[in-house]
Amino acid sequence: MADRRPLRGPGINTFQIDAARKVHARTVQARIPQAAASAASERFISPSPPTTSAVRRLVPRHVCNSPNNPPCASCGTMIVPSPAATLPLQDCPSMTINNWTISTRKKPILNSQELEDWENNKLKGLTLPEMIFGNSYVRIENTLHGWTLEFNALDALKQVKLADCGIRVSYSKKWMDSKQQKQAQRSSSPTEFEVDDSSLKIAHHYDWTYTTRYRGTEESKDQRYKFTRDDTQQLPLDKLSRPDHILFYDDMILFEDELADNGISILNVKIRVMDERLLLLNRFFLRVDDVLLRVIDTRVCVEFDENKVMREYKEMEGDYKSLLANHRISHSHDPKAALRDSNWVAQHAPVVSREYETLNFD
Amino acid sequence: MNVDRIISLLRQAKHISEETVYTLCLRAQELLMNESNVTRVDTPVTICGDIHGQLHDLLTLFDKSGGLEKSRYIFLGDFVDRGFYSLESFLLLLCYKLRYPDRITLIRGNHETRQITKVYGFYDEVMRKYGNSNVWRYCCEVFDYLSLGAIVNGQVFCVHGGLSPDIGTIDEIRSIDRKQEVPHEGAMCDLLWSDPDEVDSWSLSPRGAGFLFGKNEVDQFLARNDVELIARAHQLVMEGYKEMFDGGLVTVWSAPNYCYRCGNIAAVLRIDDNLERQYTIFEAVQPQNGVGNPIIPTKKPQMDYFL
Repeated sequence: MADRRPLRGPGINTFQIDAARKVHARTVQARIPQAAASAASERFISPSPPTTSAVRRLVPRHVCNSPNNPPCASCGTMIVPSPAATLPLQDCPSMTINNWTISTRKKPILNSQELEDWENNKLKGLTLPEMIFGNSYVRIENTLHGWTLEFNALDALKQVKLADCGIRVSYSKKWMDSKQQKQAQRSSSPTEFEVDDSSLKIAHHYDWTYTTRYRGTEESKDQRYKFTRDDTQQLPLDKLSRPDHILFYDDMILFEDELADNGISILNVKIRVMDERLLLLNRFFLRVDDVLLRVIDTRVCVEFDENKVMREYKEMEGDYKSLLANHRISHSHDPKAALRDSNWVAQHAPVVSREYETLNFD
Repeated sequence: MNVDRIISLLRQAKHISEETVYTLCLRAQELLMNESNVTRVDTPVTICGDIHGQLHDLLTLFDKSGGLEKSRYIFLGDFVDRGFYSLESFLLLLCYKLRYPDRITLIRGNHETRQITKVYGFYDEVMRKYGNSNVWRYCCEVFDYLSLGAIVNGQVFCVHGGLSPDIGTIDEIRSIDRKQEVPHEGAMCDLLWSDPDEVDSWSLSPRGAGFLFGKNEVDQFLARNDVELIARAHQLVMEGYKEMFDGGLVTVWSAPNYCYRCGNIAAVLRIDDNLERQYTIFEAVQPQNGVGNPIIPTKKPQMDYFL
């Protein structure tokens, strides 16, 4: 910027504050639902016609808890985003419907100090993934019954096994063979520079794919509130496919690792809250190039009026080559693009296991 | 071909014609061909880590560290992929190389390969911008000629990834035939891929390929080659840089707010004539379009009716 004036004295200058305000306003605006909602309603052909209750209520019943919330389309209150008093900016939107409070928080990746703490204490023995959004979360809370379901990176990573997962990158065998040959040559004609045999051993085992079967962290003051399993049931897909007005939406990554460019391992959680219910999708997606694809989905649906929580857990896994063969749009310039799309993989990879649970509050 | 004019276009992220890219890449190849695998560089010099197509942050980097008119630069690789301006970032560095050949050294990173750029964004970006892959192919040809390392005043060894069990001395790197796609194994591959870790000796990554090295290996390498420091990039660091093994190795990371979402800080390392290290840190800028409106890079719609 050419017109930037030099800073005078200590403290934050007004330009920075102004810039911070603008960034903040943009972040907040990004959550305004109208534009996306109207686009979505064009895309969707609703399977069941919206009932009268699905039509936007005249008197809204939800409450925006944070002044950082977008101007609320339903209650009509225009909330001017106030400049946050502290830098860096915190963004913790939250809303309440009946006795259900939904909140999210998005923060940057862990810093070195936090990483050290996680590595030495909280997750001892695990070589951590490259990017951990360890201070972010999505939380669903029933304030009346003191029950919480939260999705965060720490608890997800606690479920990563500290043992050999048995998966190797596609060129591992070739790589090992050539290294072994080289070592054999070296031992027959020793040079001044020696490498001992340990170089072809794995120093410490952990599941480097970071596969986690995490279904959220439950906290309950009352032991009665537990999920009961019943795999015969289904999520109310017809109601969920209705383009009901979205009151609250967020989408965040909890952790991500690019597996040294051998694919991707990523845990993502997103949530949308409508007037009558909410849907949360916690998705683990793994792609090991030329080896395998894996999707582990946890869906949580809350019916606000029935005070009912449903949770569906699903594992899908497929061999890379057979899934690629399955993808018939081979005239596209990049047929492998589909394998980078977790939605495509989730729809096409065989289901390995499925569980369904419910929890009813009286 | 007017390099200065292309530089000014690239700095504004404007379109460069396919023919211009072709000429540029050809001339860059001719220049790079004559460089050795490990380039000798004099102090003072600024060492920069991964860029990953974040053009606006690359411009900030030059701004904050003095610019090419005043300082020499070494880039440790990973110019492309992930960011939205891989092509412009890489071409800008190439133009600077043509314009100031002695002031800038470009080292190859593991992303400067055909295979990786096809998966991690550069190929897609070129397809989107040109409708065909020619420009991507021209750039890949240049990748094959990039140096594998640099040595500053004989004292600081610069490389993208790390050490290799096949490489004892820096001279051994000079004998590698580098003009090829990075192979899946061997010394060239290790230099671009390996990572330092808290291990007692060379060990295998649990992925089944790739090496990890520890303090012992670093100490031996430093002593054997009579160097003080290994400067490398390749791994994201929240604070922009991280020294390890009693200061024998440093990771430098120069892509702030990596992937437009990590919220990390970036850094460059300046080595002065007394081999003193000075880190300059900088934060991400909001990219703006020609009339000063912010561009919010996003890969997917802000909101969707997911099921």
